[in-house]
Amino acid sequence: MIVGEQKSIAEIREMIAPYKKLLILGCGTCVKTCFAGGEDEVATLASALRLSLKKDGKEIAVEEFTVERQCEDAFIQEAAPHISPNSAVLSLACGAGVQAIARRFVKVPVLPGVNTTFIGVLEKQGLFTEECSGCGDCKLAPFGGICPVTRCSKKLLNGPCGGSRNGKCEVSPDIDCAWQLIIERLKILGQLDHLRDYMPPKNWKTSHAGGPRKLVREDHII
Amino acid sequence: MADQFKPEIAVFHCINTFADSAVLPIAENEHFSVKSYKLPCSSMVKDVYLLRAFEAGADAVLVFVCPEGQCRYVEGNIRAAKRVQFVKRLLDEIGIDARRLALFNIAAGDAAAVVEIIHQNLPELVKLGPNPAA
Amino acid sequence: MNTETPSHLQKVLEAGYFAVTAECGPPRGGDPDAIRKKAALLKGSVDAVNVTDNQTAIVRMSSIAACHHLMQLGLEPVMQMVTRDRNRIALQSDILGAYSLGIKTILCLSGDHQHFGSQPDAMNVFDIDSINLVRTVWNMRETGQDMSGFNLKTPPRMFIGAAANPFADPFEYRVIRLAKKIDAGADFIQTQCVYNLDRFAQWMAGARNEGLTDKVHILAGITPLKSEGMAKYMAERVAGMDIPDSVIKRMAGVPKKNAAREGIAICLETIAALREITGVRGIHIMAIEWEETVAEIVAAAGLLPRPAADQAEGVL
Repeated sequence: MIVGEQKSIAEIREMIAPYKKLLILGCGTCVKTCFAGGEDEVATLASALRLSLKKDGKEIAVEEFTVERQCEDAFIQEAAPHISPNSAVLSLACGAGVQAIARRFVKVPVLPGVNTTFIGVLEKQGLFTEECSGCGDCKLAPFGGICPVTRCSKKLLNGPCGGSRNGKCEVSPDIDCAWQLIIERLKILGQLDHLRDYMPPKNWKTSHAGGPRKLVREDHII
Repeated sequence: MADQFKPEIAVFHCINTFADSAVLPIAENEHFSVKSYKLPCSSMVKDVYLLRAFEAGADAVLVFVCPEGQCRYVEGNIRAAKRVQFVKRLLDEIGIDARRLALFNIAAGDAAAVVEIIHQNLPELVKLGPNPAA
Repeated sequence: MNTETPSHLQKVLEAGYFAVTAECGPPRGGDPDAIRKKAALLKGSVDAVNVTDNQTAIVRMSSIAACHHLMQLGLEPVMQMVTRDRNRIALQSDILGAYSLGIKTILCLSGDHQHFGSQPDAMNVFDIDSINLVRTVWNMRETGQDMSGFNLKTPPRMFIGAAANPFADPFEYRVIRLAKKIDAGADFIQTQCVYNLDRFAQWMAGARNEGLTDKVHILAGITPLKSEGMAKYMAERVAGMDIPDSVIKRMAGVPKKNAAREGIAICLETIAALREITGVRGIHIMAIEWEETVAEIVAAAGLLPRPAADQAEGVL
């Protein structure tokens, strides 16, 4: 799923300062599962903001609403009656959702309440890890199913570098050295000799480096 | 003592710590008032309930759970503790003193302990003063 | 063995001399005088000098410019190039520019992550990795083509180096990795500095077993220790560094004012031991901000005089 983290109260306060009537709009999919912007988080944030503003002697009317997904028009439409009476929308969706709301409701300022970070998995309860950078040209097979583009801090295809320490990346001891993981996995698979194969430079055209991407499925367009 | 500030305390508890506020030995002339909220499991102290208690005017919010290792639902009291920690950080961010929110472990059914703990913490709560966002 | 290039370091190695290289970090400013000062300390004691490329991701004068200044002083540079900061377009462009300035030896590296440096907010590049870079320079030399397949007018013919760390994790993979760098086109290897001779000897034995020491010139890294503090810092904080307790104890066991002497003594013992290991073709002395010791170490190790340009010439 897409993972993100709610912004700090301070940063949100700064963004919403000009507005007296605010709608906090949550999303029931990715950001709900990483506890950044689902219905519960909308409620908590609304309460926190009311307390925060009241404490400073300021008034704000905060409405709360959550849609299933903010990345699909059919669901976004349901928010319309909640958006129109308010002067701004604080969307707790991922960056894509925030933009979808802004695209559909052009006359109202749409503010991001979440910092969208990565595509990842739930490794265990409460722990989300980045796994995919959306390079558009998936080559997981020779690496035992571990992505060196995403999980190696240097995107090395012919790794490892000389900086790992006790199986952890030089950037942080919280980061596993992806190449250590790849080597161990290939050992289990009996494919360690594959690592002697030269991996040519990656074609980044399919990644974001080639420009923002689009997918058109004609077979679904009537 | 008449004009001393009388803190309004919101008490969250699961029904295994004590049944409900009726059993709390709170005297007539106490220097605090209690509004209690009972839950089927202490892990049900959702972040938003704790915050809404402050929105509703509580000067302090106290959460009572069973001792560690004795939760009827095994992890309820641990989850409650984690939520209280999370909301304390949020209170700091908001600028409301996080000491207004606290969690206490009491033996199951020990309603007297609740009042004792309130008495013990009362001087500090009085010092903290009324809820700045009330 | 390897294709002939105009590199002096290649000539020295292939003439059979035990090579000596050292390192020079460019200044954090625009004045070439700092390089001149370091060059003066190293001249005559080394066959070539590595010039680092924004090492530890700290912004310094570019390697290519610093190499150029070194050459004006009569020293042969080894231009270090990392893939952290430049994409394949810029890297190839700089290789052409370097060659046009007379730079003939290159060391290809990935580079320390920018998180360590003076600009941790920067975007990194890592468009290609160090092994891709080795292959790229090799292709330019052997086929005359750049990465797009374009036939370069006057393709650069450089002597190609890569780094190796016999002490990094995972140990059993380190010889495979060496083989990979050689397959990609590396002519010479400079290793991380050696303190743990047993482990280094093990790695060299592995390299010999795979026939790798016949295919590549290995120069062992050497860094003289200045103090017990330095030894401990490197052991604990620098990734891929292996400093045995016995070495730290030696540094701790002498009064502070004698620590540097002890460090140099350990250094000389290490060099003597390295010369006995088959397949070690030279040393690479990294005496960062202590360049004045290089001349002393090289002299005391009996490695003077260094072969002059014409002495190594014509042997290929």
